[in-house]
Amino acid sequence: MFRPIAYLVLKEFRQVVRDRALIRMVIAVPLIQLFVLGYAANTDLENVRVSVLDQDRTRESRRLTDAYHQSDVFTPGPVPEGPSDLNRLLFDGETEVALWIPSGYGADLASGRPAAVSVAVDGSNSSVAGRAAGYAQQIALVEGQRLLEERARARAALGPEVHRVEAVSRFFYNPELESRHYMVPGIVVLIVTVISALLTGVAVVREREIGTLEQLMVSPLTPAQLIAGKTIPFAILAFADLAFATIVAILWFRLPFEGSAALLAGCALVYLLVTLGIGLLASTVSATQQQAMFTLWFFLVFGIIMSGFFFPIENMPAEIRWLTYANPLRYMMSIVRNIFLRGSGVADVGPDLARLGAIGVLTFAAAVLRFQKKIA
Amino acid sequence: MRRVAAVARKEMYHILRDPRSLAVAVVMPMAMILLFGYAMDTELSDLPVGILDEDQTPDSRAFIARATSSGFIVDAGRLACRADIEPGFRRGRFRAALVIPRGFGERLAREPVSRVQILIDGADATTAAAVETYLRAVVALFSQDLAAPTAPGVMPLDVRSRIHFNPELESTNFIVPGLVAIVMIMICALLTSVAITREKETGTMEQVLTTPVAPGQLVVGKVLPYLVIGSVDAALVLAAGHFVFRVPMAGSWAVLAGYSLLYLLVALALGLLISAVARTQRVAMMMALVATLLPTLLLSGFMFPLASMPWPLRIVSRIIPATYYLEVIRGVILKGRAWYPFQGAVMLGMAFLIMALAVRRFAARLE
Repeated sequence: MFRPIAYLVLKEFRQVVRDRALIRMVIAVPLIQLFVLGYAANTDLENVRVSVLDQDRTRESRRLTDAYHQSDVFTPGPVPEGPSDLNRLLFDGETEVALWIPSGYGADLASGRPAAVSVAVDGSNSSVAGRAAGYAQQIALVEGQRLLEERARARAALGPEVHRVEAVSRFFYNPELESRHYMVPGIVVLIVTVISALLTGVAVVREREIGTLEQLMVSPLTPAQLIAGKTIPFAILAFADLAFATIVAILWFRLPFEGSAALLAGCALVYLLVTLGIGLLASTVSATQQQAMFTLWFFLVFGIIMSGFFFPIENMPAEIRWLTYANPLRYMMSIVRNIFLRGSGVADVGPDLARLGAIGVLTFAAAVLRFQKKIA
Repeated sequence: MRRVAAVARKEMYHILRDPRSLAVAVVMPMAMILLFGYAMDTELSDLPVGILDEDQTPDSRAFIARATSSGFIVDAGRLACRADIEPGFRRGRFRAALVIPRGFGERLAREPVSRVQILIDGADATTAAAVETYLRAVVALFSQDLAAPTAPGVMPLDVRSRIHFNPELESTNFIVPGLVAIVMIMICALLTSVAITREKETGTMEQVLTTPVAPGQLVVGKVLPYLVIGSVDAALVLAAGHFVFRVPMAGSWAVLAGYSLLYLLVALALGLLISAVARTQRVAMMMALVATLLPTLLLSGFMFPLASMPWPLRIVSRIIPATYYLEVIRGVILKGRAWYPFQGAVMLGMAFLIMALAVRRFAARLE
């Protein structure tokens, strides 16, 4: 029973190893994904250029300018010559945020009138615009709050006491609020998914395309052995990638690993049922590698978009949120992040794991059934 | 010319005989626009927050009512004690907990400052920061209500904030330019490279080469259909964006078409280079993934801000064609700019350089 499987696994491995370019890719793809994504998938804003047109030139206006220049988000951009130049800088993409402090700003503040300033943001850059606008406004609001408090204090020195509520906040699990800590475990899931599903699907179809699948079918292998032999090598590769990516995440990206490695491995095993099943299923409906690849690609892209990897699931409208309950990636994404960052145990990830397991058993069973029918 | 047409026709049959791949190539971008246009709201709302009211006075209840009265956070249920907070985070029941300590109401009446605690699950840093900002604002508003009788409510700063070129920050205005760049790379680089390596892998390349078709004619003929599909697909995405989701067109379609053609050439050149290097389809596919699709998605400034990346990645982003194309397409669509000499020259240079490399590799292989 097991000897033939072992032979087939060995054959598959030899094929992978002999294809030098492929083995390089199997090693390089996760590596590149991990490093590029680990550094690129940084949603913290930095170095956003702000151009300030200060026509007031008073102590107060310089204080507002400094508030922008000294924030972690903004960096001084080119200095405009006048109001129209401010618009040109935005138009030519030479700056992202334009702050205009008209003359009379300081005088208005001193006399207690509302002092007008204008903030303009280049809304065309998708990865920057929304949050840059938010920060730009926030800095002005903080400055306003500070002025308000100064006035209140000046009044309080004369009048009755002012009561206020203060918030003390504390962040759990990621006190420095590094977005990378949340993205890297997600990347680990992506790597395991792509490697196992894509390679399994393509490997089977490749045999069909070059005609060797028929040779395998006339051999004494049973369909079950054939399936085992075709999936086990990629399961092993996926595990190797998982271990490797986890080690890089901990040693290189300095991620905390609060949970148990055994639990992570166990969950990955359940998850592989899903990805290998999807790979097999795609291979049963595809005649060429290109077809298999495109079919898988289609499902993976939507699986990733709706997994919460980048767009939080809470933000999605209710109908889409319902769809995500059928998405295995969603569960794996949350399990891996929970194990990495929150130290969740079996009891915590239990519900997610149970759903993932149910999807896995269904997918794999469907794949095996279809595969046997196709071969018999 | 006739030979080129013959090869192109043969390739077209290949494509049409596999309608599913074509359907994926055309349907996927459409489905993505739909999903992003209707479903993806990058604005946070309805975040579940657990509430622990240790005080249980009218004051604490008034505070809770004030905090949960907007749509931004929703009451995820009352907690009985502090020990309930962490399990709630670990099971994903809520993202933050608001704790009103015992004596809150009493202090509020007598002392100048009373405190509430905000405990936040920081794992998802972006959401966590937004929750904190929001909860702090709620607290500040509550304070303002308290102070209202004694202080006149005039804000000292009158901030007039405006967003140019995309005032509503419509997500489809962001997604469409990125999708166009991705679709063209996907079809021209991925499909072309796989189609050519398939002939190598299945051994039909040699058969074709024994015919009087010259290698150059073969390549042009094979590439032509994908150039057409890529252009049509990109046009479809733009049309859907413009007519269904009201993505504006501030500039001219002709200008956009011109720059898009340049970008298509670069994508095709990349596809050719990959097929010149790769011997099997799976290797070509992985290479296309790593060399074209991933960078276009991640390092072009489409999803993640380039300015926040470490300098090595910023340099890499400058050798990715989509970085330049995105600058152009955003400018043309949203700003109405037409003149991009630098970006145009860079894309033209890239196309020539990559094409020359690919032809040299090919010539060496096909001799």
